[in-house]
Amino acid sequence: MTETAFQATESLRERSRYGNDPVRVRDLRKSYPNGVAALRGVSLAAYEGEIFGLLGPNGAGKTTTVGVLTTLVRPTAGEALVDGRDVVVDPLGVRRRIGVVFQDSVLDNEFSGVDNLRLHARLFGLPRDIADARIDALLRLMDLYQRADDGVRTYSGGMRRRLEIARALLAGPRILFLDEPTVGLDPEVRNEIWRLIADLRQREGVTIVLTTHYLEEAELVCDRVGILHAGVLVALDTPRRLVDALGEQIIDVRVLSDAAPVAIALTQTGVGSHAPLVASGSVTMASNAPSGDLADVLGSLAGAHAQVVGTAVRRATLNDVYLHLTGGATDHPPAPDGDPR
Amino acid sequence: MTATVVDALAPVATTIDGRVPPWHGFGTLWLRRLQVTTKTASGIIGQLMTPVLWILVVGPALADSLGSFSPGVDYYTFIAVGQVAFLIPFTAMFSGINVIVDKEFGVTREMLVAPVRRAAIPLANAAAVLTVTFVQVAIIVGLGRLRGAHFHTSLSRLPWFLIATALLCLTMYGVAETLALRIGRQEAFGPLIPAIGVTPYFLSGALYPLSVLPDGIQQVGFLLPWTHAVALMRYGLMDGTNPRLDDIWHLGSDPLMAVLSAAVLAAYAALMLTIAVRTFKRTTLA
Repeated sequence: MTETAFQATESLRERSRYGNDPVRVRDLRKSYPNGVAALRGVSLAAYEGEIFGLLGPNGAGKTTTVGVLTTLVRPTAGEALVDGRDVVVDPLGVRRRIGVVFQDSVLDNEFSGVDNLRLHARLFGLPRDIADARIDALLRLMDLYQRADDGVRTYSGGMRRRLEIARALLAGPRILFLDEPTVGLDPEVRNEIWRLIADLRQREGVTIVLTTHYLEEAELVCDRVGILHAGVLVALDTPRRLVDALGEQIIDVRVLSDAAPVAIALTQTGVGSHAPLVASGSVTMASNAPSGDLADVLGSLAGAHAQVVGTAVRRATLNDVYLHLTGGATDHPPAPDGDPR
Repeated sequence: MTATVVDALAPVATTIDGRVPPWHGFGTLWLRRLQVTTKTASGIIGQLMTPVLWILVVGPALADSLGSFSPGVDYYTFIAVGQVAFLIPFTAMFSGINVIVDKEFGVTREMLVAPVRRAAIPLANAAAVLTVTFVQVAIIVGLGRLRGAHFHTSLSRLPWFLIATALLCLTMYGVAETLALRIGRQEAFGPLIPAIGVTPYFLSGALYPLSVLPDGIQQVGFLLPWTHAVALMRYGLMDGTNPRLDDIWHLGSDPLMAVLSAAVLAAYAALMLTIAVRTFKRTTLA
């Protein structure tokens, strides 16, 4: 998937030279009345037909960015264009071209699944015959056709999420925004949702901008990711390139007590591609050195430091990139079980 | 995925591909709010219970026991019109709960990302509450007529009753929407429904003429939209009887005083709806 995503992104980058990126953000800033600066000069673009992931710890500015792009948050400064429309100057034009799936379920509980879709179709000005055809097709696509007339109060979490995605796609949006689309869902349903999202991009060419806490899933699904930290975009590239830039391997050293001396010793070995990351009970360092060399280094480290209780070498992941760029912020949930694809 | 699905998901032309008309979505949102309201029939029935009890039982009993406070005034008809003024603010305030529920459950957010002008959302809700109110008022007036109230109206007088009904409803909906958005919690908003929706009614001249109230209290009554609404409703529905507009204005000319009371109500409605729309915009755009 990573390889495919990488190749797809190269092609997308080529297309973006024409300057009609569905999402383009320049020096975006947002300060709330309480003085909190949620965004401090973010610039990014999502290319036509790609899945773009916004990652970052809580409070990093992900939801604020999506809020600005969906016209729910007014930026303090900077520019945000969605399908060429400025979110401040032409918010109705923006809203006509987007579909949004919120983190929390926002279905109208008083109505059935199909009535929720009909309401949305009317709000987006879909002619009745077209709306009926699309509703029918989307209910089938989302495997909700048999339950369409049931009240959404009776839907499971996965069904509600599928209905929300169907609703967001109903008016044929150019860009689909998904804010934490799988949070709170069990692993099986999460896999199903990710598969659906990947299919939509693959088959329909919808540009998808999503935020997620699940980094392993983002690594598999997203063509490119932007990592936000404290309102600043600290990285923007394909997951593959970000991981490669960090280093191929990750050295994990578990310690009983003070990790600082071990971190210093690890730095002095000279095998690290970046400074080690020290957390409670562990030291982590990225490296491009061959596995054999790393095994020797770790062997001598364990011999010299009694507090070392375990060592391991593994392939670097997007999670490691995230931790290094955000200084070890770990307020995201643990990686889910299972392959999201 | 079948070819049908692919076709169905392709971008489509909509009725708003050009400039979005200012009224776009209004009808849809009005209908949605109406459907939500009618799905909770207990709310509509609950709002009607007290005025129905007054119309069918308490009103006739009081009229029989007390007679009339002045010659030529049928007390039962007098307070039957007053019950309309009781019902309207109560219904309007009650609808504030729907505003909170929509916000709590995220339905408002879904509307906010649709190509609909922000102002259309509270205004469509107000229109839906107005629709429900007119149905409820028709029930109360109908029951009053069956129970023996002597309503006398005409094509020139009935509009005054309808205008008073509409403007009082819109005024109180504006109050309800504003408070609901600012308070944001059902448990905090609930106690305000009787406090704001009902209490001022007792100072409005709905049950007795304003002139019998002590000085000071009377002046408070003059300021209330209820007072102007009740007087206008009587002007519209009790032709041939003193509508007590003179209690407020002391000008001698009923048509002139009716215009003045309607102007006061219109000002209240415009002010409260403007505040409600502004509050809605402010609380939904971070």
